[in-house]
Amino acid sequence: MKVKAENNRENSVPKGVTDFLPEQAELIGFIEERINRTFELWGFRRIIPPMFEFEELLAVGMDDSLRDKSFRFEDRQSHRLLAIPPDITPQVARIEAMRMSGYPLPHRLYYNGRVLRQVESQSGRSRELFQSGVELIGLESPEADAEMIAMSAEVLRKLGFTGFKLDLGQVEFFRGIMSAADLSLSVLKALQESIARKDSTTVRSILESVDIPDVTKSEIAELPRMFGSADVIQKASLTVRNDRSRRALDNLAKVVDILAIHGIRDELTIDLGEIRGLSYHTGVTFEGFVPDIGEPVCGGGRYDGLMGRYGRPAPATGFAFNVLNLLQGLEKSAVINLPVTPKILLFNMKEDRTAALELTARLREKGFIVARDIIRRDLHDSIEYARRTGIQSVVIVGDLAADERDAVLLKVSDGTRRVFTMTDQAFLDRSELFS
Amino acid sequence: MNDFITIAIPKGRILEESVALFKKIGIDCDELLGSSRKLIFENPEQKMRYMIVRATDVPTYVEYGSADLGIVGKDTLLEQGKDLYEPLDLKFGYCRMMVAEPVGLAEKDDPSRWANIRIATKYPNITEKYFSSRGIQVEIIKLYGSIELAPLVGLSERIVDLVSTGETLKQNGLVEVETIAEITTRLVVNRASLKTKHERIIGIIEGLERFL
Repeated sequence: MKVKAENNRENSVPKGVTDFLPEQAELIGFIEERINRTFELWGFRRIIPPMFEFEELLAVGMDDSLRDKSFRFEDRQSHRLLAIPPDITPQVARIEAMRMSGYPLPHRLYYNGRVLRQVESQSGRSRELFQSGVELIGLESPEADAEMIAMSAEVLRKLGFTGFKLDLGQVEFFRGIMSAADLSLSVLKALQESIARKDSTTVRSILESVDIPDVTKSEIAELPRMFGSADVIQKASLTVRNDRSRRALDNLAKVVDILAIHGIRDELTIDLGEIRGLSYHTGVTFEGFVPDIGEPVCGGGRYDGLMGRYGRPAPATGFAFNVLNLLQGLEKSAVINLPVTPKILLFNMKEDRTAALELTARLREKGFIVARDIIRRDLHDSIEYARRTGIQSVVIVGDLAADERDAVLLKVSDGTRRVFTMTDQAFLDRSELFS
Repeated sequence: MNDFITIAIPKGRILEESVALFKKIGIDCDELLGSSRKLIFENPEQKMRYMIVRATDVPTYVEYGSADLGIVGKDTLLEQGKDLYEPLDLKFGYCRMMVAEPVGLAEKDDPSRWANIRIATKYPNITEKYFSSRGIQVEIIKLYGSIELAPLVGLSERIVDLVSTGETLKQNGLVEVETIAEITTRLVVNRASLKTKHERIIGIIEGLERFL
């Protein structure tokens, strides 16, 4: 039996998904357009992965916690388990390894997509994420890492954000320290969790109970405090002795130097205790934060091991924006620099629609956004409709006060009228009159 | 508003001790101790804002970034498992998360032989995690207060709860049989705040650390 929509209004969509109405959808479009434009300016080409894949193959490129969040179902055709990806990077890795062996390296690929993730039922979080990201495959140079971070800064600037921070980490630094200590898996896990929370009290109490060299102990104990501005790298290089960690610091310092050439200095913070995505990343990682938003708006890093899992080993780095977090950030920030294309409502008072439709076409050619009113109603009601839908001017064809060849341009904001000849190209070029 | 630091603090003893601690590093928030029913206080000169919230809501405000910092018991953090930084142990509010049972049961009980037990608690997640790590099946009854009552009326055999002096346990004929965790009050920080306001927040953390 069909449920009537009106009886089911309270639960019109499942929890964790959202209907975006024109105002927000327009902003999302603006954000994605800025992102895509930047990616393209840096030489990235778009790819479009499928909506769902074989779960087994997708899982090759994910850690277990992410894998557990995917939406899964059975394929009626192949009877295999399918999954809607919770992240696009494994899809890109699969596509690169399996389909793009004929392309020369490096690959610069970008994508816009929606992914689904299961969340805890009461968390109030969205289960649908809008991701826009890039993968740069085939380069291991620090310049490639810096390119990711510089692009994310460029997008955040173009969106009008000020006071944003890009927080850099290097997971090899952590691994270097930990590999010097012979720790049981359970102790290692407890330490990792406490370091990720910057809980130095628990870190110290765990260290008291293990038998490892004092040098290593003091290095580990410092990890929760190794964050701050760029001088953290310097400070760390004075205290940490093992080769692997020192190489990681050199690598991170190179990335920071290259970012300085890109003009990115004050936006950087360093966090050597940041080990989210440890199972996946192999070098420099980063996350972007904007004021007043509690979660990162972008994140990514180097993952040299991933491509090999799909059978074609290659160094790689990448990152993705969380578009809905950017949307929230824009809505909270005072300035939104939406591009302003004048919007016009075309109101026809004549019986015949020829003149109205011809003028509409001419205005659109000039780049104006033009909607035909179509409904028969009072001019007053049409002006009210325009005002409420963000349309700046109403153009009236067939106004009794105007000549046959003329139309009237009426500004919604103040009601001023201006008569013009419909074929007057010079008038139609003056977009400031219409906005 | 953006350059303000907002701190979420629960009412009660934690509030008093926090105000005293912040005073030591020159952050004056005596106003919070008054009898006002206001929930939010601002100090424009110091660019500080304070929110009075329920203890169990502190992690939520901080996780979403409505507050940059929060002060909350480790018990609440363990129970909720939110993604927050907790850089400082403020050392006050010490108590223990423990398993207790009636004196009569304790006399003949052997915790190493527990296989499936019934526990009443305000902390279902901590309880679940603790017993499953020990391979014990547990049926959890979630209560919101007066947990000590449950074994007295046969609702459960045992309880998991916080104890500081042990007086309430004693008066109700219960004894502590196992300690799950030691609990103190923590300073928690929103992840994004630590990055976007790192200079001020590092200043606060390092300042407080000197007095702990």
